Amino acid sequence: MTAAPTTLAVPVPARRAPRQVRWLLRLHRPTVLVWTAFVLLTGAALLWLGGPLTDASAAAWKAYNACDYSPRCAYDQDAILRYKDVYTYTNVAVLVAPFLVAAWAGGALTGREMESGTARLAWTQGVSPARWLASRLTVPALLVAASTGLLALLHRTAWTAADGRVDTAKPWYDYATFYANGTLPVALALAGLAVGALAGLLLRRSLAALAVSVVALGGLWAAVHTALPHLWPSVTRTSDLGTGPAGTGIPTAEGVVTAGGDRVAAPCGSDTTYGCRAELADLDAVGYWRDFHPAAHHWPLHLVASGALLLLAAVLVLVSFRLLRHRTGPAARPAGGERTRTP
Amino acid sequence: MVDYRIDRHSGVATYVQIVQQTKQALRLGLLAPGDKLPTAREVVEATAVNPNTVLKAYRELEREGLVEARRGLGTFVRRSLGAAPADSPLRAELEQWAARAREAGLEREDVAALFTAVLETHYPAPAHPQMQTQAQRHRTRTHHPAPHTTSQGDPS
Amino acid sequence: MTVPAIEADALGKRFGRRAAWALRDCSFRLPAGRVCAVVGPNGAGKSTLLALAAGLLGPTEGTVTVLGTDPATARPEVGFVDQDKPLYPQLTVAETLRMGADLNPGHWDERTAARVVAGGDLDPNRRIRSLSGGQRTRVALALALGKRPALLLLDEPMADLDPLARHELMGVLMGQAAAHGTTIVMSSHVVAELEDTCDHLLLIGGGRVRLAGDTDDLLAAHTRVTAPARTPLDPHTVVESRTTGRQLTALVRPAGPLPGDWRTGAPSLEELVLSYLRNPGAPDQAPPPDTTETAA
Repeated sequence: MTAAPTTLAVPVPARRAPRQVRWLLRLHRPTVLVWTAFVLLTGAALLWLGGPLTDASAAAWKAYNACDYSPRCAYDQDAILRYKDVYTYTNVAVLVAPFLVAAWAGGALTGREMESGTARLAWTQGVSPARWLASRLTVPALLVAASTGLLALLHRTAWTAADGRVDTAKPWYDYATFYANGTLPVALALAGLAVGALAGLLLRRSLAALAVSVVALGGLWAAVHTALPHLWPSVTRTSDLGTGPAGTGIPTAEGVVTAGGDRVAAPCGSDTTYGCRAELADLDAVGYWRDFHPAAHHWPLHLVASGALLLLAAVLVLVSFRLLRHRTGPAARPAGGERTRTP
Repeated sequence: MVDYRIDRHSGVATYVQIVQQTKQALRLGLLAPGDKLPTAREVVEATAVNPNTVLKAYRELEREGLVEARRGLGTFVRRSLGAAPADSPLRAELEQWAARAREAGLEREDVAALFTAVLETHYPAPAHPQMQTQAQRHRTRTHHPAPHTTSQGDPS
Repeated sequence: MTVPAIEADALGKRFGRRAAWALRDCSFRLPAGRVCAVVGPNGAGKSTLLALAAGLLGPTEGTVTVLGTDPATARPEVGFVDQDKPLYPQLTVAETLRMGADLNPGHWDERTAARVVAGGDLDPNRRIRSLSGGQRTRVALALALGKRPALLLLDEPMADLDPLARHELMGVLMGQAAAHGTTIVMSSHVVAELEDTCDHLLLIGGGRVRLAGDTDDLLAAHTRVTAPARTPLDPHTVVESRTTGRQLTALVRPAGPLPGDWRTGAPSLEELVLSYLRNPGAPDQAPPPDTTETAA
C-alpha cells in the first residue's frame, strides 16, 4: 500500500519493509469505521435522491403544472419537499466532508502523535520519520480521494437526474451545488489532509492543530471562492436596454455599454422605470453587458481550482517532510526520504 | 549452584562479594570440582549488577586456580576449598581462643582487629582482594580497563 | 578496535534561535559494550542528549556519531525509551508487542519482549490506557529490547518502578548486556541505583559535559583528602573543599603524588557525582583521551 514514496536510507540487505499500514489502520480503526459509515450513509442518500426521490418529485411537479393553478387539483407536495430536504442534507454532507478530513488530520493523524510522543515511539521502532509521515499521508490520501470522489460523483449523478425535471432543482451555478458537483470536494479534502498533517507537526498539540486545520481549510475555500471567476476566461454577452443584463451562469462583472463603446457600471437594472431610463440616457447607454461563466465552464473551473489546491497540498506535504527532516536531524548520507508525492 | 546475594551497603566491592561467596560455597561443599558456575548472564539477571563485575570476579577466581573458563561452555570449578572443615582440630582451638578473648572482655571489633593483624603477619602478600583497603581496591580495578570484549562471547 | 557506540563532537542543541542552549559544546566518546549512566540535575540536558543520539532531534551545532554512522542511519540498531514512556493507549499489551514485531521485521526478539512483559504479571489483553506507570514502563522496555538493539538509550527508565520491578528489570538489562554486548545508556538523577550497574559515567550539568569516562578511571583519578585547615591544595585540581574547625576535607584530582601527611581515601561514585553537582563551578574533567578505548 505504501507505494514506496521513500526509499530506505540504509542499504540493509533484504530487510522487509515494516508493516506500517496495518497498524495505521488499527490505530485509527474507530475513525475508519465512522468515516465509512458517513460515506455509506451519504452515498445511499444520494442514490435514493437521484432515483426514487427525483422521480416522485418530477411526477409531483408534472401533476402540479398540469393543474394550472386549479385549487382542487391534487399533487404530491410531500415528494417535492422531501426531495428538497434530502438534496440540502446530502449537499451539505458532501461539502462538509473536506472539513472532517482536515479536522481529523490535524487532531489525530499527526498532532496527537506529536503531543503524546508516540511519533517518537514509531521513529525508534524501525520506522524512519520520513516513512512514518509518508504512510500517514499516502494511505489516508488514497482513502479520502476514493471516498470523496465517490460522493461527488453520486452527487453529480443525483443532480443530473433532476435537472430539467424537478422545477426546484438547483441550477448548476448555485454555489453549494457547484462546489459539490465536480472534483473540488476531492481537492479540498486532500488539501485538508495536507493542512492538517502540517498543522499537527508544527503545533504538536492535538486540539490546536484541529482548530487551525479547520480554520485554514475554510480560508483556503474562501480564497478559491474569491478567485473562482478569474480561473477561466469568462464569456461576455451584450443585450439591449429593454431586456436588462443577460446570460445565466456564474457572473463576474456587468454594466452598460455607451454609444462610444465604453463599459461603465450600470446605475440600475433595466430601463423599464422612469428614473432608470433617465439615468441610462445621461450615460448615453446603448445596451447592457455581462461577463459570466456559462454551463460549459463548469469543468474548466473545477479542474483549474482543483489543480491549484492540489499544487498547494503538494507544497504543504513537501514543507512537512522538510520540517520533520529538519527537526529530527538529517542523515549524513543522502537519504531518499525526501521524495514526496502529491496526495 | 551458588546464589549470589549482593549487599550494596556492606562497603565491600561487588566483585569481591562474588569471589567471597563463591569461596564460601566451595568451603561448605555447595560447589565441587567439575561443577559449572552460573553464566554471567544468569548472575546479572538475578543480581542486577554490571556483567563486567561478574567477569572480573570469575577472572579473579580463575587467577587463584579455583575455577577455569572453558571456551563456549562456561566456567567450571577446578578444586574445592576444603582445608579447614568445620570439625577440624584447628577450629576447636580457635573456638577456645575466642571464648577466652570474650572472657577477657574483648569486644567483637577488638577480636576482629586482633585476628586480622595476626593474619597479616602470617599471610603477608595481599593477593586476596578482600584484604585490600578501599584505595588499593580502586587502583586494582583500573588495571582491568577493558573487560568488555569478553562479555560478547559469554555463553548463555 | 571497535567502533564507539556514541561519539559527540562539540554537540549543541537549542530549541529556537533565541532560546537558551539545552546542550552546548558537548564532546565525549562512549566505547561500545559499556553500561553508561547519564547523570545530572533536572533540566541539565540529559533527555536532549539521548534524543540527539536516537536521531529524534537534529543538532543545532556539532556532530554526534552513533555506531559509526549518523543517528538517522543507525536508528534500526538503536532502542530508545522516552521519559514519558509513550505508547498507543488504544492498543492492548499483546497488540503493542505484535506492532513491535511488524515494525521491526527480521530482527524482533519475541522471547525477550514477552519475558519482560510476563515478569509484570500483565494481562496481555489489557489496554495500554488502563496500565499503571510502572506497567507502561515494562511494555516500553519490552518494545525497546525486542528490537534487539546494539545500543539502548533509556531516559529515566526506572522512575516509575517499584523496587522489586526495578531490580528485576535492571537484571534483564544487565542480562542483555552480558548476552549480546549491548551498549546501554541510561539517564537518572538517582546515582545510588546506578553504582552497581554502570561502568561508565557521563555527568551533565548546565548543558555541558562535566565528567566522562569509565567509572573506575574516574574514581581512580579522584581522591578524598583530609588535611589541616588552610593547607594549600594546589597544584591539585580541587572539585570541592570544606573546612570544619581545624580540619579541611576536599575532593581533588591529584596532579601528582599527594603529601604523605594528608589522610586520603577513595570516593564512592555517589560522593564523586554529588561533589560535582554541588559545585557547578568546579573544573570539568576534560574528555579523557583515547586511553579507555585503545585497550578494547
